[in-house]
Amino acid sequence: MSMFRAKKLDLGCFVKARTIRDHTKRKVFEEHEAERQALRYVIRNTTLPPRTRATAQLQLSQMHCYTRPTQIRNRCIMGGQGRGVLRAFKMTRFNFRMEAMAGNLPGVKRASW
Amino acid sequence: MSVPRARLLDLMKAQCQVFATTFNPEGIRMGNKVLRQRLKGPALAAYYPRKLASIKDVKREFGPVLATWDDAEEDRFEYIEE
Repeated sequence: MSMFRAKKLDLGCFVKARTIRDHTKRKVFEEHEAERQALRYVIRNTTLPPRTRATAQLQLSQMHCYTRPTQIRNRCIMGGQGRGVLRAFKMTRFNFRMEAMAGNLPGVKRASW
Repeated sequence: MSVPRARLLDLMKAQCQVFATTFNPEGIRMGNKVLRQRLKGPALAAYYPRKLASIKDVKREFGPVLATWDDAEEDRFEYIEE
């Protein structure tokens, strides 16, 4: 959503609309994480009155969808793809292969035995 | 040799005080596991590399004081001249 998006582009990697969106979601989640955890604590605490817990449930479910961690998806920093991304290298498998064969990834070498 | 329950509870209480955990002998769900979780927001938000200062930014900031060259800009000028 546009109200969360940074006014000036603050990404140094491959940029496309989905990358910007994902980055925005990450920042919004970071901002609201403490609030979400507090609500989750209230909901899970059985010693609190049921009414408080119910209102906390409502509040949590009515928070903006960008504050949810499940909205975040790792994307390739070289090409912006959302599938087949290697977590350790933040790259798609093809980009990873290209970079590894060019020798840009320290410690990565072709398997041979 | 059996130990009385009250004594065991005292031990648990002392344990909780020492290790700063909540005393909860009945095992009631108090949601403390949520409070024990670490915040993962900073790690998630640092996934994409942030934008660093470009040559244009440096030029704008230091203007006449610092002389540098911008390859991309020069290429563009050459292209325009052709």
